[in-house]
Amino acid sequence: MMLRDFWDGLPVLFQDVIVLAVLLSPLLAVGIFLLRGFAPWPLVRAVIWRFRWANAMFVGLIAISVGMGISLIAQERGLRQGTAAAADKFDLIVSAPGSEMTMMLATVFLQPTDVPLLDGETYAEIAGHENVDFAAPLAFGDSYDGAPVVGTTEDFVRHLSDNRIDGRIWTATFEAVAGAAASVGLGESFTPAHGMGDEADDDAHGSAVYQVVGRLPRTGTPWDRAILVPVEAVWRVHGLADGHAPENAGQIGPPFDPDYFPGTPSVILRSEALWANYALRSEFTRANETMAFFPGTVLANLYRVMGDIRQVMSIMSIVTQILVAASVLLGLFILTRLFRRQVAMLSALGAPARFVLAVVWSYAAGLLVAGTIAGIALGVGATVAISRVVTARTDILVEATLGWSEIHLAAAFLAITSLLSLLPALASLRQPVVEGLRA
Amino acid sequence: MEFPLLVRDLRVTGPSGRVLLSVGSLDIPAGSVIGVRGPSGAGKSTLLYALGGLLPATGSVRWGDVELLEMPVAHRTAFRAANIGMIFQDFLLFEELGSAENAGLAAMFAPRQRRAAVREAAADTLHHLGLTPGTRSVASFSGGERQRVGVARALAADAAILLADEPTASLHREAADALIDDLVGMARDKTRTLIAVSHDLHLLDRMDRVLWIEDGILQDSVHDAA
Repeated sequence: MMLRDFWDGLPVLFQDVIVLAVLLSPLLAVGIFLLRGFAPWPLVRAVIWRFRWANAMFVGLIAISVGMGISLIAQERGLRQGTAAAADKFDLIVSAPGSEMTMMLATVFLQPTDVPLLDGETYAEIAGHENVDFAAPLAFGDSYDGAPVVGTTEDFVRHLSDNRIDGRIWTATFEAVAGAAASVGLGESFTPAHGMGDEADDDAHGSAVYQVVGRLPRTGTPWDRAILVPVEAVWRVHGLADGHAPENAGQIGPPFDPDYFPGTPSVILRSEALWANYALRSEFTRANETMAFFPGTVLANLYRVMGDIRQVMSIMSIVTQILVAASVLLGLFILTRLFRRQVAMLSALGAPARFVLAVVWSYAAGLLVAGTIAGIALGVGATVAISRVVTARTDILVEATLGWSEIHLAAAFLAITSLLSLLPALASLRQPVVEGLRA
Repeated sequence: MEFPLLVRDLRVTGPSGRVLLSVGSLDIPAGSVIGVRGPSGAGKSTLLYALGGLLPATGSVRWGDVELLEMPVAHRTAFRAANIGMIFQDFLLFEELGSAENAGLAAMFAPRQRRAAVREAAADTLHHLGLTPGTRSVASFSGGERQRVGVARALAADAAILLADEPTASLHREAADALIDDLVGMARDKTRTLIAVSHDLHLLDRMDRVLWIEDGILQDSVHDAA
């Protein structure tokens, strides 16, 4: 118990370094035991150079195996962090009852879906709650050049961008603020298409022309590709009331008049007080009326399911590593037979068994270390490349980097295989010297 | 240190039980230069390896006060490292290393305090044999030069016993004659015991005695040089 408390009290970095040292300790212990008092490096170098092509292939196979393991772990973690970061600005979402996952995908990740709308009365109740700092309705349905055109309010745009808008926020109904990755620039105009993707109708809103007056900084979320416009504009373009009574024509943003509120699939709520968010979720979770949820909680549930899958993947990965270790062992048996004569000659010249063992083991360990280091580099390279592809395709900023888990995995692989490589070294010692000299 | 050789009832058998080598009695005074000849496959190299303690055998192989066959493998290995230099027909060098590292190979496993001396001795022997100790790969050396490196390696630890297996077989005549001069000369200079298996009459001519072996049996332990 005391040991556990002591361990838990250590800084995380220190814990990781200790785990790494423990994992590498068998390698170091064997190395120190075998190499103590000897200087076999020229021979090890010579053997590595003599069979350089076979050795290079062997190192390459180890590198691919280690790299794949590392890449999988780093990618999974990067994706988890990326999706969590994407949901960061969405504290609480209120929508019509249904699937939280569907609503989260629609609201946070801008995946189009048909959902029931919340009416004006409900919105007014939400927006008017004393603990709500802002309640932003959303309006989907249009797009431009593949990017979703999303109607919302100024408060949400400022919240999303941390108030760092290049240009300015809209002051007129048909002004827009483009996401960092949207295909329209500051000062440009565009006409939205109705619908998304292949089904988008470019001519449906021919008379509507938006002008881009502001641009958001990169947020690392699918909202980077979106073009944000006043929610009134989306409603008006679709021939609906624009949320305001005729005497308030031209008003942009809240308050909205419930009688002229066309409905919204979801409302993004923001409350400065953490406790208030929980109270609001409880208050607006009403059977058959509204559903309130934290996107972070939905993601956490998703990660829990993914965690099970991850465990299965980990077991598969361990089985794969065992198979690779077995292949490494077999490969080392074959490679050590290539210099059987040299080993026999060393024994004939009076080299102690430990020296012969040190030469063969150092050779094997050298290949394993080179393969593992190359594997780490390969894994990092693959992770960066895959992250870029995922980011480009989903707009979720996936920043997969080399973490301690990957380093520990590589170190464990190295420790186990370097211990296993003692077997071919011992086997080469057991070969009759004269047979070796005559080989 | 001097090591006279006494062999009694030495037998080496193969896996099938066939007798590969049988030596009833053999006495070689320390500092002798001995040749071993016989037909191919007669057991010449087997005799050499048995005298070096490299083969499981019965009987007695006594170098001075040391009964080689009764020693554990590790002790035999240590005895070889300290007292026996081996020279092989096809040199058995590390082709990727230079002459200095090949000749000074024993320094890699010698006690730290002896390493410099072994390297120095290897370099001196290389100089004596007309080679410059260096890092240029021995792969670029001629056969004669390579065998000289092999001889320097055998002598680097100041071995009192030299066991040479067909040392001139891979060399052309001129190189072989030069090597014979060097090998025999260096053995006699320091009264080392040299036992050389060979078909080379030029080498056998320079021996004190030549042993004849046939079908694994040392038939005539005192045989005039041809």
